[in-house]
Amino acid sequence: VQPPEKPLQAEEWNRLRESFQSPEIFEEVMFNSMVRYNSPIDVAKSLLTHVAKSNGDIAYNLLLKYLALCVQQGQTSEIRDVYDIMKIRFRILESGAYNLLIKGLSNSDEWRMALTLLEEVKKIMIPSRINYESCIKAASRHQEMNLAFELYHEMLAKDLVPTLDILQAFFDFSRGMKGAELQKELFGILLYLRENQIYPHKTFMRSIKLWFESIPGGNWRGHLTNIKDSGQCPVCNHQLEDSDLTEEEYHNLRERIIRDVIHGTDTFRKTSPQEFEAFQTFVENRLPFDIVIDGLNVSHIKPRRLQCENLFDAVNCLAKDNARLLVLGRKHMLINSSNWKREIMKEMQNKADFFFAENISEDDAFLLYATLRSGQHCKFVTRDFLRDHKACLSDSLTRHLFRKWQRGHQISKKMFLSAFIQQPAFSYDCVVQTTGDTWHIPYKDLFEEKYSYRVPRKWLCIQQQ
Amino acid sequence: MQSANVLLKKIIRNSVLPFAAQHGMKKDLFPLSRTLSLSLCLKQDNSASPSGKLDLDAWKKVMKSGLQEEVSETVSEQKELSTLAAAREILEMWRLAGRSVPENITEEQLKTFMECPSKSAKKKYLKYLHLKELYKKNDKRKMDEKRERRLETQKQASETGETKRNSFVCLWANAMDKAYSWRVAQSMIFGQPLIFDMSYEKDMSVREVANTVRQIVLSEGCNRRSVDPFHIHFCNLKDDSLYHKEFIKHYRGAWGKLLITVTDQCYTDIFPKDKLIYLTADSPKVMKTFDHDKIYIVGSMVDKSIKTGVSLARAKRLGLETAALPLEKYLLWNSGAKNLTLDQMMHILLTLKDTGDWKKALEFVPKRKYCGFVSRPVHELKKTLNLINTLKLGKRQEEARRQFAKNYSKKLTQK
Repeated sequence: VQPPEKPLQAEEWNRLRESFQSPEIFEEVMFNSMVRYNSPIDVAKSLLTHVAKSNGDIAYNLLLKYLALCVQQGQTSEIRDVYDIMKIRFRILESGAYNLLIKGLSNSDEWRMALTLLEEVKKIMIPSRINYESCIKAASRHQEMNLAFELYHEMLAKDLVPTLDILQAFFDFSRGMKGAELQKELFGILLYLRENQIYPHKTFMRSIKLWFESIPGGNWRGHLTNIKDSGQCPVCNHQLEDSDLTEEEYHNLRERIIRDVIHGTDTFRKTSPQEFEAFQTFVENRLPFDIVIDGLNVSHIKPRRLQCENLFDAVNCLAKDNARLLVLGRKHMLINSSNWKREIMKEMQNKADFFFAENISEDDAFLLYATLRSGQHCKFVTRDFLRDHKACLSDSLTRHLFRKWQRGHQISKKMFLSAFIQQPAFSYDCVVQTTGDTWHIPYKDLFEEKYSYRVPRKWLCIQQQ
Repeated sequence: MQSANVLLKKIIRNSVLPFAAQHGMKKDLFPLSRTLSLSLCLKQDNSASPSGKLDLDAWKKVMKSGLQEEVSETVSEQKELSTLAAAREILEMWRLAGRSVPENITEEQLKTFMECPSKSAKKKYLKYLHLKELYKKNDKRKMDEKRERRLETQKQASETGETKRNSFVCLWANAMDKAYSWRVAQSMIFGQPLIFDMSYEKDMSVREVANTVRQIVLSEGCNRRSVDPFHIHFCNLKDDSLYHKEFIKHYRGAWGKLLITVTDQCYTDIFPKDKLIYLTADSPKVMKTFDHDKIYIVGSMVDKSIKTGVSLARAKRLGLETAALPLEKYLLWNSGAKNLTLDQMMHILLTLKDTGDWKKALEFVPKRKYCGFVSRPVHELKKTLNLINTLKLGKRQEEARRQFAKNYSKKLTQK
């Protein structure tokens, strides 16, 4: 339904209502479309008046929709009025109304009232991160940075993940402001990005850059750049952090992989205790490997060729510099078949160590174990993103470690004609990083660009002169 | 008309109340103050009626007035509410806001609601309760309608004075029950065992356990009514487990009288290992025929979160043979998981036992999950599918059609 353009009289509303196919939901539908078409507020008022006069009351959901319309158009005084009415009419309000009220009031001069509403919400439930976003933005818009940061820390304490908009607002509104405390807080946000492996988008990156350059007496300069494959920044010649884990992190990750991925709730789900033990002794006796290959995954890269030929190419290509190879496979590969020729398999076994798991076992888990057991220098080859294994890890910290390790150690590969081309793992870590007088911040070109496996190639280099 | 208007205005000016009464306002519904304010708005309207001027804020007055007594009520009421009562109020407000929230909620449900770990879990639970309530209401409505209809026909029958003549006393249900019980009792002595493995409680949520038990109750029902029932065993069923509680909820007094074997022992303790076959969709082995000498095990588990390999792991641990239904072989699978509900499994196994006919048995696979039965070998079917695709794409249309015709005629001559 198209809402009318001008306020209507009661009879006119009545007529409209009669002509509507299901009159009992007429008001609801009408209000919905008013919100959609952003109708003038007077039209909505006239409908409300009509409803009030004919029923002597207005249902909560209609008030809510009217409120949505007011918020959409920034009608502060109306928002206040609706709030007053709701307050007398109903003992408590629910989250939907609070969301709208907070959003509406935080954009107005009465933004402090949004804060009191936030307090009210806290009494009945945990506020959403959008609620916090509104309040934090309002506070920082009015240069009350302390208040804004207080709210920010409060939401972090409640395990809410701040939106990128919140973080960006801090940088936008702190521009040109002095204060060591403030600087520390903003550096804290950058470290938050680092710890959670969040990449800012382009506009956010620009806010960061502008803030840095606006610090009074800071002499910061920002440049956009691409990092070389070697991990060197072309602007300041600074070498970026490598993606190696610390000894402790590495150890933790290995333990967690064994505990959560290989054993999980039941060792029998992915392998069996006997098999895992056999594999462990197999690996211990042949350590360390340089490259671990997921045989079955590699054997599928070119669908037109025989699977064993694909694998043969990969092994040949990787075996060049006397690298110690381990190929993981399943027992069915040993049976002479159209896809797995015995002679080729034999020849490969001269060049690399092979471990064949049971046909119903998961070889990926073994891949991770063997690579981690061999040490930091060891890489692995698979096209698999290993998402399901990452998902088995129980906490986000270990998952981040896993991702970092995966970035540095997984060799992804391209097939180019018949040649097997290695795409080396990243030699540097793609994460926000600092040395005190330089900052390097990777950023995404687009706001939506979001593949968990793809890391940004563009960087913001900030240095102090 | 004009004079009438003038008259009305006069009346309004003189006194407000009679005007309201005249206009048949819902006086008795509203306290005095509201009527007052309402009529005041009306007055304003009237004075400006020719130009069609509206008082747009009239609704505010309506909403604000007439609430004095309610406000005082809230004030007098105690301010502190228990968390449960507060939750109840929030739910009520959500309902008013038009969310899917049940109208009535019990204390127990409210507690479960409060214990939900996240907002989305809460939302989901409320929606579930809401839908349940809707179904219940609908059922009740239908029942009432039915009863009314029945009463009406009875009335008509009594009016016409016709009485039904029946040679049997109406004891059908009772007699059938007895007959079924005889059969199941026999199967308990001579029948082929079928095991439900009740050891998945810790892999499931409370609602999944409830669903599982419901499915088992259905399975037991259809087993009881079959011509040659299985001898059902519930193995690994511990007393006071969730399973056990749910069973008692469903069967009540009948639980003790069920003609099945319930034990907390494992099936490997009761039966020789080489006779057991664990049925699981994850099994690499595909069932070819139904073996009347084997004992099949069905895992009593509903896994909404698709935990693959749980039952296969159990069978691996115990060193049992496993098997999967040959769904791929007989059905052109469309979508959905290959794991079936327990009652569907029961239907399929019963049919296999009686007839050995896979096609008939797999009729019980939900229709939405497959496109059709495979009448020819799968690879041949795929060839036709490819052909159809090329035809659709319009590539080498003529050639494809010719080939199709050639193949088809060849097949005809072969037959």
